[in-house]
Amino acid sequence: MDTVQLKQQLKQQIIEFLNLTSIKPEDIRDDQPLFGEDEGLGLDSIDSLELIVLLNREYGIVIRDPKEGRKVLVDINTMIDYIVKNRTK
Amino acid sequence: MLYIHLTACISPQSSFPEASLDHLQRSADNKLRVIEPLYEGLPQQALRRMAKVVRIGAGAALPLIRQAGASCLPIDGIIIGTGNAGMEQSIQFVQQIVDHAEGILSPGDFVQSTPNIVGSQISALTKNKKYNITHVHGGLAFENALLDAAMQVMEHPTHTYLLGGVDEIGTYNYNIDFLEGWYKKEALSNHQLYERGTPGSLVGEGAAMFLVNQQEQGALAGIRGVATLHADDPAPVAERLGWFLDNHLAEGEQIELFLSGENGDSRLSPFYEACEEILAAELPIARFKHMSGEYPTASAFALWLASIWPGGADLPGHMLKRGALPLPGGETSEPGIKMGRNVLIYNTYKGMQHSFMLLSRSFH
Repeated sequence: MDTVQLKQQLKQQIIEFLNLTSIKPEDIRDDQPLFGEDEGLGLDSIDSLELIVLLNREYGIVIRDPKEGRKVLVDINTMIDYIVKNRTK
Repeated sequence: MLYIHLTACISPQSSFPEASLDHLQRSADNKLRVIEPLYEGLPQQALRRMAKVVRIGAGAALPLIRQAGASCLPIDGIIIGTGNAGMEQSIQFVQQIVDHAEGILSPGDFVQSTPNIVGSQISALTKNKKYNITHVHGGLAFENALLDAAMQVMEHPTHTYLLGGVDEIGTYNYNIDFLEGWYKKEALSNHQLYERGTPGSLVGEGAAMFLVNQQEQGALAGIRGVATLHADDPAPVAERLGWFLDNHLAEGEQIELFLSGENGDSRLSPFYEACEEILAAELPIARFKHMSGEYPTASAFALWLASIWPGGADLPGHMLKRGALPLPGGETSEPGIKMGRNVLIYNTYKGMQHSFMLLSRSFH
């Protein structure tokens, strides 16, 4: 699976995990902030926990350090970089 | 006395935001599911994570709280009754633990899985940090919430409370109750609910919310009395009803309508018949479970119905058990039978938990 396909898959997974029923994968820009009401997707702290669960279940990634989590969960690009480097499945 | 000033109900009928009950909405697959509105007042961010029981509870409550706010009426507490509340999410959370071998678990189902999720979400959405409690006494959960509200206003006569009863149809609970025989095994539509004479009822769900306080002026109705009991025999239930009426009706005062929680379950008919026997023979009897379905807090639907029904409006034929000629189809209004001023509501849940509520309606 190339990076473009991986991004598409991740966007779909985020929509399903977070029940973002009014959003389609193509509505999420790769550099769009995940958090923040104005430009971002408007996710909140509970969503960040859901995303950590997503990374664990779908890619076998365990994030234990909150500081590391803050660097990873910025936008689709940062998540994909981390997934590519650290995935175990 | 506890007075109802505002009320709203999300139910399987056309009850929200305005009630239109002449036409009976039909059940599907032996279930009466709520008609969910668009929830324009709920933030999308919160809505996408909400279980149905939270959506309907908050959806019915928020318009009342906003209306109260517009009238400068502060809400001094949130008192909710629910049989099961977030049980569906509890089951999903437990299932996650099994499926993922006690590994990392999604927090969403956990956050939504507690019985007090409805009251706490309403509190969070309205930033109300005052008295907040959820009563979970099965089929008497709403009545206990009501008793709590009544005691609160006795202690704090100037306070106003949000009182509610809410439950959803959950797959797990439905299956357990179905196996126990509480729901019809045969396919049945709600317009035939009382005709079969077989065990079981149709499952339902709903959220009914009320703003209550001790101020009579401008109230829709006053709750004059509530009584609850546990019994598996009709005799003590009828005996308690006699005591209840003796204690709450003035000399010479009459009930004008008996709003019965009869649910089509032949095993529960003796309880309702025992109550009917001690009431006046000509007293009109109306039923509501074909509209709401059976669920632990269905009596909240009955209280909503009795509170909002216009004084001059005839009851639709599909509600009437006694006091009207039978009509084919059961959807035509019978002339002449109205809700009246004094309404007695009797409900039993599973033939073990019983409640009476006496309501005096206003006509303005």
